[in-house]
Amino acid sequence: MRMRFSQLLVSFGITLTLLVLLEVVTSTVLPVMGWKEYRLTFNVLIILFLAIRMDSPLVPWLIMGLQIIHSIFSIEGWALGTLAGLIVLISANYLKEVLHLTTAFMTMFTVQLFQFIWYLTVTLIICLKISDFDKFGLILWSFVPGSILLSLVSPLLFWFLDNVWKIPNESGPRGVEI
Amino acid sequence: MKLINESSKTKIVNNLIVGILAVYGISQKRFDLNEPTLFHQIVIEVISPVQEGLASSKKSLSSLWDNYLLIVNTSKENSVLKKQISRLESDLTTMEEVRKENLRLKRLLSYSDEMSHQRVMAQVVGWDSANEFKVIRLNKGGKNGIKVMAPVITDHGLVGYVYRVTDNYSDVLTILDQNNRVDVMVERTRTHGIVEGVFNFKCALKYIMRNEPVEVGDKLITAGVGGIYPKGIKVGMITDISKENFGMTLSVEVIPSVDFDKLEEVLVLIPNEVASTPIPVKIEEMKQ
Repeated sequence: MRMRFSQLLVSFGITLTLLVLLEVVTSTVLPVMGWKEYRLTFNVLIILFLAIRMDSPLVPWLIMGLQIIHSIFSIEGWALGTLAGLIVLISANYLKEVLHLTTAFMTMFTVQLFQFIWYLTVTLIICLKISDFDKFGLILWSFVPGSILLSLVSPLLFWFLDNVWKIPNESGPRGVEI
Repeated sequence: MKLINESSKTKIVNNLIVGILAVYGISQKRFDLNEPTLFHQIVIEVISPVQEGLASSKKSLSSLWDNYLLIVNTSKENSVLKKQISRLESDLTTMEEVRKENLRLKRLLSYSDEMSHQRVMAQVVGWDSANEFKVIRLNKGGKNGIKVMAPVITDHGLVGYVYRVTDNYSDVLTILDQNNRVDVMVERTRTHGIVEGVFNFKCALKYIMRNEPVEVGDKLITAGVGGIYPKGIKVGMITDISKENFGMTLSVEVIPSVDFDKLEEVLVLIPNEVASTPIPVKIEEMKQ
């Protein structure tokens, strides 16, 4: 299925708004309610959706746009997540024949798998930046609780984003072309 | 309408361009200091009031969780009665909160009186949304005199330093973050070391030699080295010491003095320029 450019702008606008809302929940609402130790990194989940479900040459730029908005809420900046998102995108391209998000369980499993690739990339780069590989295991481990929760909510978020990006269920694992 | 044609070649080119930009961005990125771009300044100024509003409605959010969700299945009468009780309790909680806040602010002010810095009191309105960074956002910024690298404290001790500033908001790199390294000394033995953030709201004290007589329970204070933190601010307490079979240093675990789980208000210390400017000494005075 092909998507018009104007429709892309509308869908991307809704996705950005959703990201801002979820970032506010993560950075303010959950800490206010006492959840300070672990973060739910919704930007990762939205980028995973784009990487897994979209089939377009514009996806790298969409990932970059989402990460620029994420950098307002985090000192992580845009570049680290953009690189991790690209690696996930390339991995998803190679695995597209075997990716079938037909059930909630498969969606959760796939999201968990790609989150692992994401966090491995991010941890590696952070350790390189701070020149301290002693913390590799600790940093990677700190992602685990949040990533499991994200995997659990992924079917719901993917269903919502499927509707935003108008990806029909019967279109298979790699939905829409732009 | 314009349609964008897809091809593998375009995909590769786009991936390459964005990849190169990302690698360049990472190489330029500093996790210890940041000058916000105009885009960041504008968007932070627009979005942070929402965070501030939500942070200040803490009681309402807690009340929603504690009261509303729990009484969803009760009868109408029960619901009315519980709402009345809830309102009364809420009033009591509000009064109690005001009393506690009053106490906290009094302690904070009396603690900071001992310091030769200008002080700006600020409220925590948000936390970094990424898991690997421990940064808090304050509701005061450049317009209030806050500057980058200004130390941030509470009456319990050190919180961190200001990482980036916009007109009305500022982000603080806390001592829980692995990018923040604090020069400290053990109060009892005057042994110097570096405190670094690890995870689970704990820190590590590094570069303590195996023969140093440090003990569990020893308190750490800032050493005043490095030019960011004034000397003598409480940092934390040693909770665990382990000696590896190899290496020259000890592995020391530290619990911060500040309870970051309950952090609400902080003081930003702005170095007093008059106090910090060296007073010129006349040659005649030196000779005498």
